[in-house]
Amino acid sequence: MYFSDVGSIALILALGFAVYTVVVAVLGATRGIAPLVTSAKRSALTVTFFLLVAASALIISFLIHDFGVSYVQQESNLAMPWYFTLSAFYGGQEGSLLYWALMLSIFSAVFIFTSKRAPQALLPYVMATLMSVEVFFLIMLAIVSNPFVRLPVAPPDGRGLNPLLMDPGMLVHPPMLLMGYMSFSLPFAFAVAALITGKLNSDWLRSIRRWMLVAWSIQTTGLLLGAWWAYHVLGWGGYWGWDPVENAALLPWLTATAFLHSTMVQERRGMLKVWNLGLVIASFALSIFGTFEVRSGIISSVHSFAYSAVGPYFLTFLAIIVVFSIVLFLYRLPRLRPEQEFDSVISREGAFLFNNLLLVGVAFATFWGTIFPILSEAVRRQTMTVGPPFYNHVNGPLFVLLVLAMGVGPLLAWRRTSSRALWRNLLVPAIAAAACAIILPLAGISNVWANIAFAACSFTAGAIIYEFWRGMRVRHSHGESYFLAFNMLLARYRRRYGGYLVHLGLVLLAVGVIGSNFFQVERDAVLKPGQSLNVAGYQLTFLGNIAYTTPGMDAVNSQLQIWQDGRLLRYIYPGRQFYQNFDNQPTSQISITTFGLTDVYVFLADWQGATSATIRVFINPLTPLVWLGGLLMLAGGIICWWPERRRLRIPVKETYAEGAALANKGNGDHSVGVEVGPSGEGTLVVARVGDWSEENKNIVSKAPLSHRQDTGATEEPTA
Amino acid sequence: MKQKRSLFLVLALVALIGAIWSFMILNTARRGANQTLDQRVQDVASQLKCPICQGESVADSPSQLAQEMRGVIRQQLQSGRSEQQVVQYFVDRYGQQIVWSPPWQGFTLLAWLVPIALLLGGAVLLFIVLRDWYTAPRVGTNDDDADLAGIDEAQLQRYRAQIEEELAGSDPIFAPRRMEAN
Repeated sequence: MYFSDVGSIALILALGFAVYTVVVAVLGATRGIAPLVTSAKRSALTVTFFLLVAASALIISFLIHDFGVSYVQQESNLAMPWYFTLSAFYGGQEGSLLYWALMLSIFSAVFIFTSKRAPQALLPYVMATLMSVEVFFLIMLAIVSNPFVRLPVAPPDGRGLNPLLMDPGMLVHPPMLLMGYMSFSLPFAFAVAALITGKLNSDWLRSIRRWMLVAWSIQTTGLLLGAWWAYHVLGWGGYWGWDPVENAALLPWLTATAFLHSTMVQERRGMLKVWNLGLVIASFALSIFGTFEVRSGIISSVHSFAYSAVGPYFLTFLAIIVVFSIVLFLYRLPRLRPEQEFDSVISREGAFLFNNLLLVGVAFATFWGTIFPILSEAVRRQTMTVGPPFYNHVNGPLFVLLVLAMGVGPLLAWRRTSSRALWRNLLVPAIAAAACAIILPLAGISNVWANIAFAACSFTAGAIIYEFWRGMRVRHSHGESYFLAFNMLLARYRRRYGGYLVHLGLVLLAVGVIGSNFFQVERDAVLKPGQSLNVAGYQLTFLGNIAYTTPGMDAVNSQLQIWQDGRLLRYIYPGRQFYQNFDNQPTSQISITTFGLTDVYVFLADWQGATSATIRVFINPLTPLVWLGGLLMLAGGIICWWPERRRLRIPVKETYAEGAALANKGNGDHSVGVEVGPSGEGTLVVARVGDWSEENKNIVSKAPLSHRQDTGATEEPTA
Repeated sequence: MKQKRSLFLVLALVALIGAIWSFMILNTARRGANQTLDQRVQDVASQLKCPICQGESVADSPSQLAQEMRGVIRQQLQSGRSEQQVVQYFVDRYGQQIVWSPPWQGFTLLAWLVPIALLLGGAVLLFIVLRDWYTAPRVGTNDDDADLAGIDEAQLQRYRAQIEEELAGSDPIFAPRRMEAN
């Protein structure tokens, strides 16, 4: 008995329990039998357990180099260091699918453990949906793509991992991205549960929002790591090439971002329910599409490493999801009416709608560009390519508008904004934009498109920083130091100021993208020892090549000096590596040196012996801002998500009493309640007595009631 | 008066930015093809897909073929051919799929038009929806008013004032005057 046999058995058992969970959860919910729901919970946890067993079996097979297992033989060999042997777990398709299934089961377990706070009526359906997705992956793992298949004879050594993947970035990028795709299942499960039960109340909204934020943060991390990996490994001086696989990862991110914004409209104003559900479902469908695209090999890409027969299965699954969601939708449509009406276009709701239009527009254009070659091939038998110039032309302007909307949106109030306040609030950002537009040409930057993009960025940065400044000043006037005030803003209004941090991060990232897009300088040359290459003020002097061999790998590195203004800045060693069994696939060791905000990116393209090298140099201005901005976005996302340990009680005082008295007068069929959002922002609710907590349908009026701590709010720890 | 002042200031700034941009656009158009040969080679190369790579352009790819193609582009540009002519040269030899962006003609025009049309359609739809929502609330408000009919008007007024005040207290946007006093 091998460890791989244990893995196979664990997979089958997990499949059995997953099917059981789906059946029992649905039965328990429809018949109202509580013990069945409890049984479903335990059985879902059992699925997690067996998947952990299966994953451990695969890891052990890798670590003891059990080459009798076909997957281990394919993806690893004896010469690989232990960390790459571990990362070979998700280096191929079977392992990726197992990883997907494992992560889904772990997230399901986390959901079950934290489900006390989730709306109970939805719980069985959420579990059933999650486990249905799990069943699909387990069927794939058990039948089509089993990582535990054994070879008749165990070879002495394995083939080894694809050399492109033998990179530290590989240790973290693919698992993050796969986990990102997976994590859209939770919001999807909540959407399905809400559609089945017809309960879309504020509890539901809170749960789905938090899970969507988790998914968004993971996907953001995955995208950033992917860009980082491409920048450090692929050797073309860039980090984002609108490659089909990159696009596929961006698509659910875009729809999730749209959802996180439009959901605020639903939260505050009870509108856009249909739209929001659509976005959740689209995000999940797109993440399955992404997995399908990477795995099916229908589109060639730098990022896809495995082609196989799972494509049709994924396509079928995708079709089932889409049809199922549409049917549910049509069935529930009558209960998804908006609760309130729109007051004015110039309001935060209006800004959110505009933002949604742009995000969905970008998502659609990207999706369209990705699948258009397939359409063209199918319809006209005409092969064609859709590449970066297309996306830059279509999406570039949309992104500029998006950045602008990010600046204007927060300046608008909910419902309607007085024009007086609007113009005054616009003043500071407009000054920032004008200053940028004037300074850039004076500094010798004559590209008008870059100027427009930079001006949009400084407009938005100005708006966000001004927002922070105003908040800090209000707190400062109550006796807090500015530093404390800043921290308190982030601590007290996590969602609002966390969101601003995300926006600021995106603006920084945009500045980095604009810089590297418009001002990248590229040069290549064949150099002999002592010869130099001058690029954008930097002088690179070639000294010679060094060749060396380590077990499993041959490598060549060039030695170069970077000079600037007659000063020697640094020695660099760009190189190439040849891994055993992959001689025709050399990987590159790219030298990236950051001076201030400029990257000097040196790639060894070719070499002859010890005394000649062809090097390509890219000067990438502002590129480090891409990573900085990305980190800031993540930090902001985490701040938004971070749970409040204490819940604030609204300073009700007379307002509440008066509201209640008011309600009582109205024939006694109104009740007044106060909802406290997770960020301490409250909503005063006047509702007709009845099922007001059930569905907010009967709410007569609802006003945001955000408050400051210094208005005398009493704090009490949440039970 | 103050309101007018910020309005005029913002408008003036927008006009200033617009003026700078139009000046820059005119200026670039006048100077025309003032690019260096390197930039032009890069421009052409980034429009072409490297035929033997997976998803990399001729400008980006480190492969031998791409390197040679960059050499060909440089030669042809030096000999006085235009960018379009060089691109056409490669299209004639490798077929249409060597160009990254779909041409603005025939079937592939759809690649460009569909996203643009959908975006415009979305904007129009948004406008219509917003207008509907904008006109509809009269009905909703009437409903609310009917529900609140039994309530003393003065009390209601006081209650509303209180909400406004608390809003103003918490959100700087609602309290413009006080902010300026600071």
